[in-house]
Amino acid sequence: MPAIKVRATDRSIKKLTIEDLKIIREKYKDPRTIGTKASILVCGGSACAARGSLKIQENLSGELEKKGISSSEVSVYETGCNGFCNQSPVINVYPDMTLYQAFKPEDVPAIVDEHFIKGQPADRFVYKDIKEKKSIPNRQDIPFFSLQTRRVLNKSGLIQPDDIEAYIFHNGYTGLVRAVTAMKPQEIVKEIKDSGLRGRGGGGFPTGLKWEISMNRPDHTKYVICNAGPISRSIIENDPHSIIEGMIIAGRAIGAAKGFIYVREPDNLFILRRLHTAIERARGCGFLGDNIFDSGFDFTIDVSFGAGTFICGEETALIRSMEGKRGFPTPKPPYPAQSGLWGRPTIVDNAETFANVPLIIANGQAWFRSVGTHSSPGTKIFTLGGAVNLNGLIEIPMGTTFRSIVYEIGGGLKKKSTLKAVHIGGPTGGVIPESLIDTPATYEDITAAGVIVGSGNLIIMDNNTCMVNEALGAMEFGHGESCGKCVPCRIGTKVMYDKLLDITEGRGKLEDIDMLAELAFEVKRTTLCGLGQTSPIMVLTAIKYFREEFETHIKDHWCQAGKCRTLSTFVIEPKTCTGCGSCARKCPQGAISGEKKKPHLIDQALCIQCRSCFETCPFVSIRIEPSVAEEVDSW
Amino acid sequence: MEGNILIVDDDDIVVKSCDSVLAPEGFTITGTTDSSKAIELIRDNDYDIVITDLNMPGIDGFELIRQINALKPSTGIVVITGFTSQQNIKDILQLGIIDYISKPFSPHTLLETILKATYLIKKIKALSTAEPDTEPDAKKKTEALNNIIDEYKSVPGSLLRVLESAQDLIGYLPPSVQRFIANGLRIPVSEVYSVVSFYPYFTMKARGKHHIRVCVGNACHAKKSGQILTRLKRNLNFNEDNITADGKFSFETVRCLGACGFAPIVEIDYDTHGAVDPDKTLDILKDYH
Ligand SMILES: Cc1cc2nc3c(=O)[nH]c(=O)nc-3n(C[C@H](O)[C@H](O)[C@H](O)COP(=O)(O)O)c2cc1C
Ligand code: FES
Repeated sequence: MPAIKVRATDRSIKKLTIEDLKIIREKYKDPRTIGTKASILVCGGSACAARGSLKIQENLSGELEKKGISSSEVSVYETGCNGFCNQSPVINVYPDMTLYQAFKPEDVPAIVDEHFIKGQPADRFVYKDIKEKKSIPNRQDIPFFSLQTRRVLNKSGLIQPDDIEAYIFHNGYTGLVRAVTAMKPQEIVKEIKDSGLRGRGGGGFPTGLKWEISMNRPDHTKYVICNAGPISRSIIENDPHSIIEGMIIAGRAIGAAKGFIYVREPDNLFILRRLHTAIERARGCGFLGDNIFDSGFDFTIDVSFGAGTFICGEETALIRSMEGKRGFPTPKPPYPAQSGLWGRPTIVDNAETFANVPLIIANGQAWFRSVGTHSSPGTKIFTLGGAVNLNGLIEIPMGTTFRSIVYEIGGGLKKKSTLKAVHIGGPTGGVIPESLIDTPATYEDITAAGVIVGSGNLIIMDNNTCMVNEALGAMEFGHGESCGKCVPCRIGTKVMYDKLLDITEGRGKLEDIDMLAELAFEVKRTTLCGLGQTSPIMVLTAIKYFREEFETHIKDHWCQAGKCRTLSTFVIEPKTCTGCGSCARKCPQGAISGEKKKPHLIDQALCIQCRSCFETCPFVSIRIEPSVAEEVDSW
Repeated sequence: MEGNILIVDDDDIVVKSCDSVLAPEGFTITGTTDSSKAIELIRDNDYDIVITDLNMPGIDGFELIRQINALKPSTGIVVITGFTSQQNIKDILQLGIIDYISKPFSPHTLLETILKATYLIKKIKALSTAEPDTEPDAKKKTEALNNIIDEYKSVPGSLLRVLESAQDLIGYLPPSVQRFIANGLRIPVSEVYSVVSFYPYFTMKARGKHHIRVCVGNACHAKKSGQILTRLKRNLNFNEDNITADGKFSFETVRCLGACGFAPIVEIDYDTHGAVDPDKTLDILKDYH
């Protein structure tokens, strides 16, 4: 990784006292109020940056000047990600928070003209309700935002994540002050325990319990590690100080003086720069270093790198990797909380877990429990993707149903598609079918449905998804990422992969289904670490909920979704084909012919089952039928 | 097989017989009985393979090998030797040669060995031309690598950091660099290799000027990252090491870069491109020269 340069702080930094924090909160000039008339908050998250947020800022300033609007009237301010990434680029105009989305840098003059000269929202670029196509100009009225409960992400899109004073202004480091000046370590642990906070890294282990184990160890040296795999990217990007604050509080609670933020991908410069800047500034203000708030408590944080590979997200493998070894997991017990990095008690927690800690300490456990369910209190961040209209980053109270996530927050399914399943838990997760869509998103309910919360990744799958193919993909991941240490994971996943490949290519037998289910169960039961215990989940849930799909693949040589190439034939339905020719234009093989306005025909000898005609046809006139190949190789 | 070969032996008969075996196979052969003359020849020409005796008057084989390693390190050396005790062979191999032939040898053995050696050396050369190292540059890099090792030598668990910095410096981690690091950190080469081969971030092959990562994690897969990959492969002509012929691009597939809400993701060097439309894959590459 190239050297990271840290920009010097805009304001001079010095060790702050509690008094100073109060003064900052009073005196801080909220950048949003710098413009006397309005402020334009330009999203500088990575998605928006990729869509030209810098250029947009430039154009905005230029255009405002051209129109004779001074920067003291309307100011331009860059913020962190809004979580509305699919609609990027995004800008908000404070104070109304008019949200403009999905425009081009060239559209800036039109927006400035309508909004500031004509004095009304530039309708072309505001968000439109999906069903009724009604404009919803203000951010807080858009269901995607209004239905979320943003606690960890509460500043997302509103502040510049590098700005430590903005973080302080929004009540940042209040939790830390309370933890180091007014609470004993036991009280901190008790507060976290009472809050019922559960690890957001996937397992859902009670965080307070883990801390207690570490706290009670007599060792002098202990460590705090933040597991910042790719799934934590969004929080680091948006609010690095909340993680740092949470880690310092954890250090105080268990009696550790050293923390590490373990970043799995050493080449993610955006993240590294943000982390280094945040750590540097926290140190400058005296939140890190010696004698924090004159309490006699010392704590420092370093960034530590992995070198890719999924398995290093598993806590014991992560620790081995930090020790400079191969990232092989080790059996538990001993848990890292008892004996972790260099054999010392170590707590490994997810970034989102840490980000919740300052909120709990500052606002109390009762506040934390005020949303969510009894055994899964608080909120959880999910990334929403797949066939829903709105993709992005969402934070919801635990217990919200998947129906609400898909249809309300996500704006329902895309045109021409219907919901088939929700894939939960990231690469090692599994699916729940449409019939279980009313399942609440809690640790217990998700586990009861046979899947895991995992990385909090939701992929909405529509009727174009082939579950056998998805299971195949999961096993490709499973055997590709297996560290190779234990046999069931290394070989079991490969055997399952081969069997699934047979089925998708027409060589499957009916008894393979039971064999797969049994093997998946055994791999899950007997492997050493969380990877092998979760990677078969996709196979298990696919068979559990979509068994008939496996059967049609095997018996009828028919992949109804048309994803398994050898098991599908694309046919044009002559009754509904209008002969518009759009499929013929898209076909890369030139396999579709026909006269204009007359039903077309697909030449099966040329067809490569690429699906492009199926996806193009505006009249849903293309059917997917069983494979026509008479003899499918049966070896 | 083609190849430029120099034979050095004080015994003229050996030189002649090697010539008569190898020349008909398509090799270009130069022979000399004088080892100091050989050094001049090596300095002025580019040989793929030097076949040398060890026992020679004046500059002996050991010295010759040392000189070759200093002058033209990418030359393959094959030794002809009369000593075949275990210890001797071990010593000889440690000099940094490709193979040895023990006297007396049959024409068949000679040919086999030389064919194998030439094949190997061509492979090695192909790798090192991807990274055109001028001499002063190599020296600077060695120095920088030494500095990195010195900085971390006493930090426990710093192997990953050293490897990361080394890869940053050199672009990849060929066996020679791994050996160098193992020596510097005083740990077995096998340990370095076990770490390098475990982590996907480390590469033992040279990469292109711009490195493309295509995410094939399940969120990106659901958004057709497979088509992006197909398009790249179809249009860029990657070789079996996933580099284009002009060395401009290389690619790898990765699983989950953590920006699933913005799938499918393609990363080029340090830039993240999200919501990539497979049809427009090639457009992204335009900015990379
Ligand atoms: C294969 C595998 C990958 C994991 N990846 C991550 C990850 O990327 N981030 C994370 O926080 N936890 C990950 N975990 C979970 C960790 O092992 C560990 O449970 C977690 O960091 C504990 O933190 P928490 O209690 O805050 O959830 C992974 C587990 C497994 C088995
Ligand atoms: S990066 Fe702008 S909304 Fe996410």
